[in-house]
Amino acid sequence: MGIRFREVSYHYPQNHLQFHQAIEKISFQVSAKGEFIALVGHTGSGKSTLAQHMNALIFPTEGSVEIFGHSVTRKRNRKIRYNDLRKHVGLVFQFPEYQLFEETVEKDIIFGPLNYKVPLDEAKTIALKTLAQVGLDESYLNRNPFNLSGGEKKRVSIAGILALDPDILVLDEPTSGLDPEGKRVLMDLFQSIQFETDKTIVIITHDMDLVYQYTSRVLVMNQGKLVFDGTPEKLFRTAPLTEYQLSMPETIKVLQAINERLGLSIDIYQKTAEAAIQAIKEAVRQ
Amino acid sequence: MSMINIQDVTFSYTGKRLILKDINLTVEQGEWVAILGHNGSGKSTLAKLLVGLLEPKSGTIAIDGVLLTPDTLYEERKKIGIVFQNPDNQFVGVSVRDDIAFGMENLNVPREEMLEKIQFYAEKVGMSDLLEKEPSTLSGGQKQRVAIAGILAMQTKIMIFDEATSMLDPTSRNELMSYISTLHDEGITIIMITHDMEEALYADRLVVLKEGAIFEDAAKAILLRKPERFREARLDLPMALKIQSGLSKTDEKEKRVRDFLWEFVSAK
Repeated sequence: MGIRFREVSYHYPQNHLQFHQAIEKISFQVSAKGEFIALVGHTGSGKSTLAQHMNALIFPTEGSVEIFGHSVTRKRNRKIRYNDLRKHVGLVFQFPEYQLFEETVEKDIIFGPLNYKVPLDEAKTIALKTLAQVGLDESYLNRNPFNLSGGEKKRVSIAGILALDPDILVLDEPTSGLDPEGKRVLMDLFQSIQFETDKTIVIITHDMDLVYQYTSRVLVMNQGKLVFDGTPEKLFRTAPLTEYQLSMPETIKVLQAINERLGLSIDIYQKTAEAAIQAIKEAVRQ
Repeated sequence: MSMINIQDVTFSYTGKRLILKDINLTVEQGEWVAILGHNGSGKSTLAKLLVGLLEPKSGTIAIDGVLLTPDTLYEERKKIGIVFQNPDNQFVGVSVRDDIAFGMENLNVPREEMLEKIQFYAEKVGMSDLLEKEPSTLSGGQKQRVAIAGILAMQTKIMIFDEATSMLDPTSRNELMSYISTLHDEGITIIMITHDMEEALYADRLVVLKEGAIFEDAAKAILLRKPERFREARLDLPMALKIQSGLSKTDEKEKRVRDFLWEFVSAK
């Protein structure tokens, strides 16, 4: 189960006003459980187009996307209930404003479950539970989502998707615009959701520090092609980052600078400041 | 004469909770000031006050020696360019070209010159292939680059970047930062609103907001020696200083690394 891309290409129609990068012959798979994946790449590389295939928001021009056993291709298949696929894969948009629309937080969260015929009482219980999961208490239920701070809105939009209990959660730049504390809290939240529920989490991000610290697999898009699929370790050790328009995480940048300037041979592949400090201490003792 | 002079400014949206309290801030021509603060600290509100999108509840703001009032606002705004975090909030044109032109049209830039500038600044942000596209259909990072080109084309004396890099990929972000450095070298006054400490290192002066008030205001080299102040303001330290804080001050070998890290953050 999970999602399997087979030679997926997507081209926007010729006269289409939208400019998004087309994607070319993309093949990979995502397990239904236990993965923490970062989808990275320059702006306009096709990340969002790729992500929208993961829950059949758009259909491939060529190739197929198998979503939990159902093959999604160019032609709509009457036998597939696409809405049911979307229950397996939840997509959280970059700007929560595009997703929130009800007058209270509770109404926003129960909207999805009600759509899938969950009884009202049960939907409300779910709302309370998912709100707690994203670190907000029940006093938020009756608040207007539009009066919340950016970070709170993000959490509510995530709670709305969690309420559908998807197996795979896809989040488009969930941390952009948050301060360092807000970023950490949200990433820790994803980590704990993943730990407790074993859901697979896919985040689109430009933040290489978060990629290195939190994720276990990286997909790199470059001009519509999937050019890398591997661990963050492998990415930062071996991949042509400049060509992909990516950069090193800050820890590696700083340690590299120390090595170059002071002629040390510190192991630069450290994920956190604490690990970097240890590596420096070891290197200077030698 | 100062480029920006903010005196005793307070602001609130509803009349109850103060978003900004007793803000006093003077910025000289050619300074590069980073305004730092946690989410909700009031930093974006301060930017909106500076460009007259909001009006202070009390206190005064002067730009280039002229007090902002309903009468002067229209003229004074031409001296300030602002790039917001979410570019969706600043699109008006039906094509990328129109959008880059919009600010210049307000400044009555002659047509020939405008066309040249559109081309020049679109190339600068790497969007010259997409001039005929409709802005609402671009990716987030591309929109931001269009917005930046439009503001750069106005060649204002003051440029405000309100978390403008948060949606850019690492390469576009580096490019923007180095372009801002060029503007700074040309004598443009730069106000950079951010919570990214690595980005703040490019500034000469750091102003830290906490819960709507100015918590620190000092030269970068001075403030970076007080790491606890950043933590108290719920901000991170730059990575180099986080690492530095874990190294021994007495051990000769570790001290060498410490000294280098200090040089590393000061040199940006």
